[in-house]
Amino acid sequence: MATIDNLDADIASLQARLATLHAHRTNLTSVLLSQPHLSTRLQAPASKPSSNTDPALLAITQQSTRNHSNIHRACAGVTAYKVRDPDPHAINDGAILGVSIDVALSGKFIETYHALLNWVESNNGSKTLRIHKHTIPPCIPLQALANKYLPTAGKNGDEEVQQDLVRFGRSLRKELVSWHLRVRAIDALRKEANLTAPKPEYTEPHKVLNAFTSDDEDEASSEAEEDDAPARILDIEANTAARQVMVTWSDRRTAMLSVSKDGRVEKAVCKMRDGARDAEMSRKALGPIGGLVKRLKA
Amino acid sequence: MATAPDNKNVPHSHRLPTTHREVQRTFTKLSRQSLVSLAQQWLSKKNRDFCKPYLLSDRNDAEDEDDEEIYEPAQSYEELQETYRELATRKGGRREVLDRILEGDWRTGISMYQLATAEIQYLLDHPNALRWTAKRLTKIANVRSAVTDMEVTNDSDHLPRFQAQTFMSNLARELTPLMKAHYLMTRIKTSPMTILRVYIHDSPYSTESSLAADTSSTDSAKAVFFVWPNGSPFVYSSLATLTGQVVGDDGRHLRDMVQQAIPKAFSRPSARYQLTSTNFTTKSLDALLTYRGPGKSNAATGGWSIFQDHSFSQNALDFITTQRGDGRDKVGAEKNTSNGVTKPGPGRPKRVAESTETPEAKRRKAVAAGRFGTSAQADDGQGLERFEVRIDDSFPSAEGRETVEGDTSNLEARTNTKTKKGRPSLLDRTAEDLEQIQSEEGWVPNVRVSFQGTHVFAGIRQLVEEGLVDGEKMPGWMTGEAGVTIGAVKEGRIRSKGGVPGI
Repeated sequence: MATIDNLDADIASLQARLATLHAHRTNLTSVLLSQPHLSTRLQAPASKPSSNTDPALLAITQQSTRNHSNIHRACAGVTAYKVRDPDPHAINDGAILGVSIDVALSGKFIETYHALLNWVESNNGSKTLRIHKHTIPPCIPLQALANKYLPTAGKNGDEEVQQDLVRFGRSLRKELVSWHLRVRAIDALRKEANLTAPKPEYTEPHKVLNAFTSDDEDEASSEAEEDDAPARILDIEANTAARQVMVTWSDRRTAMLSVSKDGRVEKAVCKMRDGARDAEMSRKALGPIGGLVKRLKA
Repeated sequence: MATAPDNKNVPHSHRLPTTHREVQRTFTKLSRQSLVSLAQQWLSKKNRDFCKPYLLSDRNDAEDEDDEEIYEPAQSYEELQETYRELATRKGGRREVLDRILEGDWRTGISMYQLATAEIQYLLDHPNALRWTAKRLTKIANVRSAVTDMEVTNDSDHLPRFQAQTFMSNLARELTPLMKAHYLMTRIKTSPMTILRVYIHDSPYSTESSLAADTSSTDSAKAVFFVWPNGSPFVYSSLATLTGQVVGDDGRHLRDMVQQAIPKAFSRPSARYQLTSTNFTTKSLDALLTYRGPGKSNAATGGWSIFQDHSFSQNALDFITTQRGDGRDKVGAEKNTSNGVTKPGPGRPKRVAESTETPEAKRRKAVAAGRFGTSAQADDGQGLERFEVRIDDSFPSAEGRETVEGDTSNLEARTNTKTKKGRPSLLDRTAEDLEQIQSEEGWVPNVRVSFQGTHVFAGIRQLVEEGLVDGEKMPGWMTGEAGVTIGAVKEGRIRSKGGVPGI
């Protein structure tokens, strides 16, 4: 048995090594391909008419496009690109204008969102854009933004409409980034209150028994009721849009907070354990969301 | 006890006899694991009030101690908890636990709460057990403040506010005059959704005896499920039917009553909501969460799925263009090649399995990958079992390039004879549709295409890969990118009402 285990361990470590080496190789490849003037240097000695099918050239162009687009995306945050809809019946032969929004938080790109637009040409030759497909989660008011910045003409199509793609992209990005910031702020609050981040067991959904959320903090709440120790925060929950936050204490006090998009607690209702309102606490809760836990403790 | 009609809900603690049909039906379906975990859940401190087991202290002294008793009543909750903990660790049959629950520890009856949690547990164990219809909560435009309605400000809210307690009390207020019902609402840890189960008790009384009494009545479904995916305007509704059970008109009517009450319970002064159809019905909860869920996938299905995972847009700091090692899965590699985003790296060693394919088959696979993206995999658990379209395009004229197969001479005759029976289909043309069709040139026959199977779009993908469907000429709606299960096709595209898709 020991030998089999040994062999398994050996294989695992070799595979790990292989993976590192592969990663290293690909890294080196992209560095090499990104060398300036590489294509001209390659072409010169060969002296044959440059064919577009040359794999080396292909790889070089591919790498340089990637470098370009990455630099644009990293610097601009909102970038546009063209794609083709493979649907043979698509409007305008499937010409699609894509808008991609990169959300970066604390030095990392965390998510990319896309809005794919197609357009119809009206009688006077102006183009009106419409959202065709997108990957914006429903908690972002995309419809409202589209109505505001990308209005489409009514059924008769006579009236002139003013579309503003730039402001659309800008405000959409603002919504997305502020959403991510709020989510992150609430995570930070949970950490501050010494709550372990809830990691739902998405890995094996069929193995999870007792998936009912309410039974979770059962032990904690019953045990905390008895002792006279200072109440601690049992849970900080937020809805998907991170606009409503609910705080629960171990002594059964609760607070419902409504958060504005730029991350301020605008309204707060704190309740004592007997259900009466705690006006002073509610006043204290108002303010930027960052210091919420500190303010509530004070 | 007086049994006057009252104005109350059915509380959690009301009990049904263990021989009640609903109890038997629900409990016999559950697995051993689920039964044990349910029992443990019922015995936890906060649920004890409405899941009272039969304990030794409950035994009436006057009652003779029955020697034939199989299950000795436990002394305390702790002892019972220990028993079930022990059952959980041990292997054994399902029947053992089932009998213990129904004939032993809860012989005095199963409470409404227990029944509800058992049924929800079954639903979570079998996410494809029920047929769901997805609806959307849409704000009714306010005539006076139509402009401010759609404004995006720092504190505007475009989704209906969902607060469980408020919603429940509103819903109960809407419904209690019409029927008695038991409600249970719970959030689910394993997936981003909230489930509401409404057990409809069609009686003017809310007493325990009236609950137990109506076993004799109809066989129709008594429970309705509603699911709210977190952070989205959608609601899925389903009648809790069991296999082979007929949905009677009664059941449907009661469900509609609950369904009508839902938007009212959501509405606030100056923000009224209505439920609108989203043309989506399926059995798979996973598919619902993909097509009408809280995430990025709602409006990027079919071939557009490459935009929601990271196969199209890599991290902006990822500069590596060549394939990452050979250990990468084949699907990922193929996907990249077909979209023209990344070409295969030079000199990439080919797999043995790949090289046996003919170039033609490989090309078809690439085409399929281009049309379907990462979606429509047979094992992704997001199968739609039915997809129907009505074709509203006019019949291709004789000089048209399309050739029509088969005998078309009797088509007209068939469309004219109204032999259809039963409920009108959602696909039936409305008067408005007909008018529009008539005003156009050409002949528009009534053609409907319906796809059925365990996973319709995975099937179509397979047909493309086998070369039975031309992947390049295939219209977009056959890839599932329209995100509906029922629709009308005009000019080769599924008709939509305009507006932004998927929200």
